[in-house]
Amino acid sequence: MNFHLSHLQAMLLFALLISIAFGFLSRRRPQDRVKYIAWSLLLFLLFGIGIGWAMYPFSR
Amino acid sequence: MTDETQIAATPPPDAMREARAIALGIAGWLVPGLGHALQKMWGRALAFFLVVGVLVFVGAGMRGNLFNSDGGDAFASLGYVADLGTGSFYWLAKYIEVGGPDVSHAYGDYGTRFLAAAGVLNLLAALHAYEAARGRKA
Repeated sequence: MNFHLSHLQAMLLFALLISIAFGFLSRRRPQDRVKYIAWSLLLFLLFGIGIGWAMYPFSR
Repeated sequence: MTDETQIAATPPPDAMREARAIALGIAGWLVPGLGHALQKMWGRALAFFLVVGVLVFVGAGMRGNLFNSDGGDAFASLGYVADLGTGSFYWLAKYIEVGGPDVSHAYGDYGTRFLAAAGVLNLLAALHAYEAARGRKA
């Protein structure tokens, strides 16, 4: 079995799974969990893509 | 005399609670989510089982580096500790990753991180199950 995920796919999957785990770990009520997961996912993606763009000038 | 012996042999409730909490923490480490399932926290149990399971499955499928006990340096030892955090899923990852690790590609390197994150996350979940059993967290 071989998964060939791209950078973006790997980041999306990682961010989603970790956000879900943190949401279930730190919040009790379902709506609080959904809010936490959504915020955490958004911040993961913002920081990930932001750091990616910040490295762009040094990539060549 | 007999009564005193019987009273002394019975552990106090706090000690029993602590022993149960430790057992639940170990159960949660061995099988992700089991520590919460035994406390009837079904949502958390299912979430941890699935998240750790998917991370291990995808990480091994991406041919991430699954560290062994005979790692040469401190980083390999730390990686081994992190990978062992997945409990029984460590052997599942070994079973899936029949071709061995391949970190010459980016996805192999990502796989290594997926496996380590799964282990650390499961340790966190096991610690949560232990604390919940002690009544410190809900």
